[in-house]
Amino acid sequence: MPQVRIVPKNFMDLVAALPAAKLDKLYDSVFICEAVLRSLPPLAKKYVLQMLFIDFPVTAKSMEEWVLADGLSKHKVAIDRLLQLRVIHEVSESGTLPREPMPPNVTVRLPTLEDLEVYAHQQWECFLLQLINSSQAERLTSFSSSTMRVFQRGLLSSRENEAPKLTENGFQFLLMDTNAQLWYIIREYISTSEDRGVDPTDLISFLLELSFHTLGEAYNLNTLTDVQRNAIKDLADLGLVKLQQGRKESWFIPTKLATNLSVSLTDSSSRKEGFVVVETNFRMYAYSTSRLHSEILRLFSRIEYQLPNLIVGAITKESLYNAFENGITAEQIVSFLQQNAHPRVAEKIPTVPENVTDQIRLWETDRNRVEMIPSHLYEDFPSKDLFEACCDFAREYNCLLWEDSKKMRLIVRGEFHQQMRDFLRRPKQ
Amino acid sequence: MVNAIKGLFISCDIPMAQFIVNLNNSMPPSEKFIVHMLDSTHIFVQPHVAEMIRSKIAEFRDQNSYEKPA
Repeated sequence: MPQVRIVPKNFMDLVAALPAAKLDKLYDSVFICEAVLRSLPPLAKKYVLQMLFIDFPVTAKSMEEWVLADGLSKHKVAIDRLLQLRVIHEVSESGTLPREPMPPNVTVRLPTLEDLEVYAHQQWECFLLQLINSSQAERLTSFSSSTMRVFQRGLLSSRENEAPKLTENGFQFLLMDTNAQLWYIIREYISTSEDRGVDPTDLISFLLELSFHTLGEAYNLNTLTDVQRNAIKDLADLGLVKLQQGRKESWFIPTKLATNLSVSLTDSSSRKEGFVVVETNFRMYAYSTSRLHSEILRLFSRIEYQLPNLIVGAITKESLYNAFENGITAEQIVSFLQQNAHPRVAEKIPTVPENVTDQIRLWETDRNRVEMIPSHLYEDFPSKDLFEACCDFAREYNCLLWEDSKKMRLIVRGEFHQQMRDFLRRPKQ
Repeated sequence: MVNAIKGLFISCDIPMAQFIVNLNNSMPPSEKFIVHMLDSTHIFVQPHVAEMIRSKIAEFRDQNSYEKPA
């Protein structure tokens, strides 16, 4: 190909020195493009022509492979020129993590996936137990009491000299499924991170990065920044990662909880196995050994026996009244029972017997048999027309509760009283 | 001139209405709280008795409960 240089070299330098926007605009013209192409070093020309027909970004590594070893300097010159002239852009790879999993010869005895699952579950339960009742947790997590208080902020209310009591939100929190609970805690953690001197955006990007790691693979701790290292310790307490110490290095292993972070809240693919069987005689059998489950069931049912692998209880009117006093709704209880149904009954339709669900709802409405609305009664109307006018006025605003045309009495909502008075005081047309 | 009375508008089912009427009748004359009995399911009462009515209904409800000794 003739090495004809139509324009002197320094003109191209001038072009290369233009600001990016102007340069891009310049490339709208066909002649400029051809001129630039002709001015490129031969290797750069070859690259441009090669990449013309490729749609996706080519990695720099593969471009290096096109060159023989002794042509590397020419390659560098060509690439630099192309970048200068903004013929090619550098696109940062969004798909690679800043770290690779550790090689297996260093990390001996990685925990199996089941072990990891058990570990995550244990940590999470311990954390939850400590959250709702610090005296019951067997092992305390290493969260400082101030961080625990922060988490407990919306869930527990503590008066002085009294043990903290679960609020209505606290109960609803316990009955939510694990993913929702995890997100709530993470949200609280992030929003209070500023008080601890950690930038929330760093934390958020680290957490999202974490969710893209492979489950069960070990990653070296020295690839983390200091901020991330502190965060990792907290996350280990929550059960999101497992820390392990080797002889020279230490590493962390993400668990299912971490990889589920990026999964949406409504994805139910990580549904854990249910454990509750509800019978038509209102008895409940929960095949579980977890203290947390026992606490949750105690919220709304009467626990009768606790055996090594089974919790036997009954759903009674008194236990449900207790739950309703504490702010739990019948819907929450019913959905908890349905979502955690034991696999043996899960295929049955309906999973929880209808007489039980109906009765739970009936007992709830039994508490609201009487509806009371603060209101005002108007009587002694001088004329029927005024009465009718007032009725229509109140009806317009949806505040009319009762009208009795025979006795000429009107009842409107309390909030409407002021407007009604003004209406009555207006001079009649 | 039109008379305005402040109070509470109660709507419930018939047995509850009768319960409230009974409660009213058992009060000494100075403490009767029903202003008007509107129909068999609606009553207009004085505003301060809301909590009292609720607690009496809860008491009535608890009379039917039996808690098995643990």
